[in-house]
Amino acid sequence: MSEQQTTRATRAAVWHNPTGWRALTVVSHSVIGKRFMLTGLVFFLVGGLLAMLIRAQLAFPDQAFMSSDIYNQVFTMHGTVMMFLFALPMLEGLAMYMIPKMIGARDLAFPRLGAFGYFCYLFGGLILMASIVLALAPASGWFMYTPLSSDVFSPGVNSDFWLLGVTFVEIAAVTAGIELLVSILRTRTAGMSLSKMPLFVWYILVTSVMVVFGFPPLILGSILLELERAGGLAFFDVARGGDPLLWQHLFWLFGHPEVYIIFLPAAGVISTLIPVFARRPIVGYRAVVLAVLTTGFISFGLWVHHMFTVGIPQLAQAFFSVASMLVAVPTAIQIFAWLATLWGGRPVFSLPMLWVFGFLVVFVFGGLTGVMLALVPFNWQVHDTHFVVAHMHYVLIGGMLFPLVAGIYYWLPLFTGRMPSMQLGRWGFWLCFIGFNLTFLVMHFTGLLGMPRRVYTYEAGLGWDIPNLISSVGGFVMCAGVAMVLIDLLTHARFGRKAKANPWHADTLEWSMAAPPPTWNFDLLPRVHDRHPSHDAQLQEETWLPDMHHGRRETLGCDPVSGEPRQVIHLPANSWWPFVCALALAALCVSLLVRAYPLAAFIALLSVGLLSAWSWHNGLRKPHARALPAPDPLPMHFTGFDSPGLWGTNAALLASGSLFMSMLFGWFYLWTVAPLWQFPETSPLAWPLLLTVCLLCSLAALLYRRTLVRLRTGDGAALPRTLWAVAGIGLVACAALIALLRAPLDITGQAHDAVILVMLLYLLMHAGVATLATLLQLRRVALGYVSAAAPFEVPIVRQLWRYTQLIAWILLLVLIAFPQSWGVY
Amino acid sequence: MWTRKPFPIAAVHPFQLPLGLVIWALWFVAVYGGLSVGCAIATPAAEAGSLTWINAVLGLLTLVVTVGLLALARFCLMAARNEPRTERRFIARLAAGVHVIAAVSTLITGLPILVLPPCV
Repeated sequence: MSEQQTTRATRAAVWHNPTGWRALTVVSHSVIGKRFMLTGLVFFLVGGLLAMLIRAQLAFPDQAFMSSDIYNQVFTMHGTVMMFLFALPMLEGLAMYMIPKMIGARDLAFPRLGAFGYFCYLFGGLILMASIVLALAPASGWFMYTPLSSDVFSPGVNSDFWLLGVTFVEIAAVTAGIELLVSILRTRTAGMSLSKMPLFVWYILVTSVMVVFGFPPLILGSILLELERAGGLAFFDVARGGDPLLWQHLFWLFGHPEVYIIFLPAAGVISTLIPVFARRPIVGYRAVVLAVLTTGFISFGLWVHHMFTVGIPQLAQAFFSVASMLVAVPTAIQIFAWLATLWGGRPVFSLPMLWVFGFLVVFVFGGLTGVMLALVPFNWQVHDTHFVVAHMHYVLIGGMLFPLVAGIYYWLPLFTGRMPSMQLGRWGFWLCFIGFNLTFLVMHFTGLLGMPRRVYTYEAGLGWDIPNLISSVGGFVMCAGVAMVLIDLLTHARFGRKAKANPWHADTLEWSMAAPPPTWNFDLLPRVHDRHPSHDAQLQEETWLPDMHHGRRETLGCDPVSGEPRQVIHLPANSWWPFVCALALAALCVSLLVRAYPLAAFIALLSVGLLSAWSWHNGLRKPHARALPAPDPLPMHFTGFDSPGLWGTNAALLASGSLFMSMLFGWFYLWTVAPLWQFPETSPLAWPLLLTVCLLCSLAALLYRRTLVRLRTGDGAALPRTLWAVAGIGLVACAALIALLRAPLDITGQAHDAVILVMLLYLLMHAGVATLATLLQLRRVALGYVSAAAPFEVPIVRQLWRYTQLIAWILLLVLIAFPQSWGVY
Repeated sequence: MWTRKPFPIAAVHPFQLPLGLVIWALWFVAVYGGLSVGCAIATPAAEAGSLTWINAVLGLLTLVVTVGLLALARFCLMAARNEPRTERRFIARLAAGVHVIAAVSTLITGLPILVLPPCV
């Protein structure tokens, strides 16, 4: 079938996005990315409104505009909304929209997962918003420190709203991280090797890995705190062998990387824009990639600098102090690369560059105060003062909001095909820039004058009156700037002049498309020869996947390093499953919130059923999926063993592994540090039973391995027999684990027993999922969906068993062998 | 005639890209965790300053890891010089840079071990 015969109408039919109620089924990355950004914008306005309430309250001393309780709710929700509902989802939305267009793909690797993540984000955000409407918003700060957030000091459901709502939103973050990670590694167009990837894609790649590793510690912390609040389990209560500092560790294990998770995509925007407007390639491409990799890693070694005042030994503080200063080095490498690019180029000071200029000034200043805060003695002096608030806003607004607006203005012609108003845009920028600095530059001095954070009012005559008034005036000036930008963005689609093709003369692939792009992005997927594909005259000389008459949504599957095509990936189309499953999880969240536990148990079972059904339907069921051979000389992904699904599963297991490691950290931390931690005289667990579970899981993994070896030779005859055996083994392992859970654990009296319970439940969950997946595979083999001709699901389920086996043996070592060898039992 | 010396594939494998910093992260967890455990099981006298068994063990570990990372950097750099294929050369050079940064980070982060008492 030649490309001429595939008309635009054919492509539009294959990639059709319905409207009305059925718009809820749309999975296209362009639509999902825009939904993330628009929803993030709404939450930004809510967070901004809360910020203005704070500034109105603090504008004058002794104000009674808000009570202390309402003020606590307002500043808690301001931080929560901005961090969890605006900053990251907004950047993830931008990445979801841009990445396939920049790497030459027709969609992301898991379109339905992206849609599911969006609905989780939306419902989680709405649950959090409901707490404001009901005047039941969390009031313990966006970091929810224990014991303030525990049920003793925060009775009622306020903190539960935070713990359940934010955890729900985090599902969206992790799913987006997995999706972007796999898409970047596996769906680049032909020839786009690692060394030819646009810098923005490198930044998103590193950010995605950080999300996969960084969010699970907080998810674990939230689960533990909710279990303590709702079920009375002991994790953070000193009297019962817990330690409130464990929460701080888990929170900041997430919280500090989170700052860089927000900063890196924004810095990726800067690294994209500066070469375009400097009209020369970036200086030091490899050095910038090196800096991004380094930032991604080192940012995980700084978390204790948020805890310098909690009583940690000097030497430990020094490790984190030095690491905190070290992270400035890769950031400086990027800044010098940007400056050198500007210096060596012929810069055009267009509207997006104004925001880049604002970023450079504000972020460098915020970075410098960051280095000051990394010094332990200085940190002690300004801890919990407005100096820290000012620093944080310089880093977050300078490091995220300014680049974000620069990026939106830059890609606006691509989004809508129209140009923004330069006049309104300039007004917006200067009002934001002046207003921001009035607010937060002055706030540094307010902090140095001793004004603490999180106080709802202050007495007159302490020297804080004038600085606070200036900050409040500045805040409202910035608001006017934001309003200008919003007016520009909202009106440009109607009044903006039509954009020329590639109006900024940029060199990345997205500018080779029509603006706005069609839902399938590229009619033909091109071969990339260098880092400047849109300037490449040979771009269309070799093209891929011209045909769409088969009705499949397809994109290229590539080698992760060389970018050479390996397979054609069949992408799933529009579906109700993401919406329905997210709705079920939202119902679960609400039922837990109102503590209707029997209902929650029922909805949890229903959710498992729905998610299983989704996984069932996601497989190959429709005849057209397999009937027509592809015209390209590449195999379809389901005929091989190395599918994107396998990569996605591995990424998900990495996230789960991060949560498991956090759990192990909690066990050893409480054992070593908690003052009243106690081991019982004998272990409450029957070690032979746990050993049996380990052996059973290993046997299941081994059987899967043997099956896979046979499948690779084209022999699928033993598949049903092996799967029956593995399913049986899985059921026995789950039964053994349930028996193990009947051990006499004092989960409300001792942190030791509570941690053991959580670890066993974690193992049971993984064994249960692996068993369920094996049972589903059995049925799919019987129906012919899985066979030697279409074996790609088998290695995916095998990974589940390998991981379950690994954690089972680790738990045997950690819970039984190691404590016994230490002589504590 | 001069011929290129074949180098093990491991030096140009993409796993080298995160490896140096993964080693740094493991070292970081080991010294922070080791310090806490050391102080919990056998706290040295505060008057001993930095001349304690904990400092000695952590310092030795820091040196070993630093030297190991530098050796890895040299391994990748040599491979890059001998690698004719652009993509592999890119990975090997990038990996060498990552290993050097990880080595410097390890050494600098470990410097306080020389001067500070461990459990005060």
